[in-house]
Amino acid sequence: MRKLIAIWAAKASSVVGRLMGKKSSSSPGVIALKICPNLIKILSKNISKGVIVTCGTNGKTTTNNLLCAALEAKGYRVLCNRLGANMLGGVATAFAQACGIFGGFKADYACLEVDEASTLKVFDHIKPDVMIITNLFRDQLDRYGEIDITTDILRRAIKKAPNLKLVLNGDDPLCAQFGIDADALYYGISEPTLPQTDDAKEGRFCPVCGAEQKFNYYHYSQLGDYYCPSCSFKRPEIDFEVKNVSLGSPMRFTINGEPMELNYKGFYNIYNMAAVYAGMSALGEKTDDFGSLLGSYKPQIGRMEEIDLGKPVILNLAKNPAGFNQAIATVTADKRRKDVIIAINDNANDGRDVSWLWDVDFDNVSDENLNTLTVTGIRVYDISLRFKYAGVKVDFETTDMRAAIERALSTNSEAVYVLVNYTALYSTETVMLGIKKSLGK
Amino acid sequence: MKINILHMYPDLLNLYGDRGNIACMEQRLKWRGIDAETHRCTCREDNIDIENTDIIFIGGGSDREQKIVCDRLLEKKEMLSEYVENGGVLVAVCGGYQLLGKYYKLEDETVKGLEILDIYTEQGSPRLIGNVVLSSDFTDRKIVGFENHGGRTFIGDHTPLGKVVVGHGNDGVSGAEGVVYKNVTATYLHGPLLPKNPQLCDRILTQALKRRYPDFKELAPLDDSLENRANEYIVNRFCK
Repeated sequence: MRKLIAIWAAKASSVVGRLMGKKSSSSPGVIALKICPNLIKILSKNISKGVIVTCGTNGKTTTNNLLCAALEAKGYRVLCNRLGANMLGGVATAFAQACGIFGGFKADYACLEVDEASTLKVFDHIKPDVMIITNLFRDQLDRYGEIDITTDILRRAIKKAPNLKLVLNGDDPLCAQFGIDADALYYGISEPTLPQTDDAKEGRFCPVCGAEQKFNYYHYSQLGDYYCPSCSFKRPEIDFEVKNVSLGSPMRFTINGEPMELNYKGFYNIYNMAAVYAGMSALGEKTDDFGSLLGSYKPQIGRMEEIDLGKPVILNLAKNPAGFNQAIATVTADKRRKDVIIAINDNANDGRDVSWLWDVDFDNVSDENLNTLTVTGIRVYDISLRFKYAGVKVDFETTDMRAAIERALSTNSEAVYVLVNYTALYSTETVMLGIKKSLGK
Repeated sequence: MKINILHMYPDLLNLYGDRGNIACMEQRLKWRGIDAETHRCTCREDNIDIENTDIIFIGGGSDREQKIVCDRLLEKKEMLSEYVENGGVLVAVCGGYQLLGKYYKLEDETVKGLEILDIYTEQGSPRLIGNVVLSSDFTDRKIVGFENHGGRTFIGDHTPLGKVVVGHGNDGVSGAEGVVYKNVTATYLHGPLLPKNPQLCDRILTQALKRRYPDFKELAPLDDSLENRANEYIVNRFCK
């Protein structure tokens, strides 16, 4: 009975939240757990085949949602916290919403994106069968603390799930360390593809013995082919190997020899695809139809999301140095003449500390194809100052995103990129859709 | 004229946009026609030409990284302490600040420091995190930044960098933040520290220039309107 009341309360709270225009999908679950603390435990018994958890600083939402889509394409019923509410409350919401009005619920799989810092708590409620860890970068130091704290939490969480199979990014020494003495599969990109730059801020030092690691090649940040010169730790043997990468549009590559084609922008998306491919294999699912699946998948809001406003306007979420550097690399890889708009907020969900802006290589934004650069957001002065000291001219400073986009639309550029951090995402999408409507598109 | 900046262990101590402090010092010299070059002292390459060093910068790192650095730094203890006593300019932020003291007492061990400052640090709970505004005798404007530290630093008779108007400061209770000693500026504030506090940056640059070029008078003014707007925004938002 408690279970039923909890589910009703969560459902009611979701409806109220929606009516109030809130996008948060975390609070209904928090309420449900207050009423029935065992809710997730009870309901997870109705998942017949397996629970997959995806963690990691960047790429969680894309990886988790694509994995869900891949399983659904095979005809499975899948529970998924699709909107990216990834703390305990968000997981509970996903369960409560999957239930019928009488609490009935059955699924084959659960695909759960879980915030690294929440894994310990979440694993008290549900023990995953497979856990994917995409990468570990510095992110919102005021919320998460240093990266050592995050790896420590993950290590303790992994111990809580005794029959866990790990799916790890083998190119990231910080991820690969979890595979030592564990049941692990690795994916990785087994050839140098990007310009070689040593911009690793984390993971330079061997997670086993502390010596400085050496790299045969880098992809970005600390991802690459690494080895420790003083102990035996090195990039593990890769089970799911990406090769033959061509970074055009579409991107092409092979996974274990199978050709793949991807209409997304962003090199890092190759990692997300490889993670899903490896995750499917870890579940014992066939991956023969993977190529056609990628063709039909639509990215989530703000993941290089393209909207036609007379010219293409591409919205991308980037919230930490590794993510921003990758976003900038994607912008400069596009050789069209373009306007760039960058919005930086410092609300609680963004991290209140904006010093990470100085760890982003913003000087790379400026190349021969840049038309105008506009900065906006709550911390408009900080981002403007960042560009000043990078020697890059800011054309417009504004607090009005709509004005910024409309101005970019009126220039003679061929494309507009809008890079935003977390809390600017939904409001910017709303502005873009509003402009689209007024254009009658 | 030329100023040589030495960035100590940027491979280990590089949290919180520390390189913004280096960029700020370099640019503000170059904009005035003064040469600036930054040298890196890393784990791999740690030879220091102290005679030709005008500004030493030490940033912040995680506790684990700080312990690795500390062993390396202690080998250079005498050299660094002589440098400071002779008026050498040193800027230390967060972890770098703690390392200048006698020790940093963690839960399970005590990390020995450089003993350049007569201060010590003890780990405390909770972490002190948030935006900070200081009033300081060393600048006309308020000093702004962001703090994120578990350690409580006790500065004894030392002169603080400023008085806490918003935030926690050295130990969360005394209302003091940072230390200024001879030509040492040490603080918990990142953000990074210098871009939004250009007056403080210029104070540090002037110290270095006067030491290297005894006839040097003062820095030419720059257009700091953007820096000052960024500074005032923080002051107005958090000082009610």
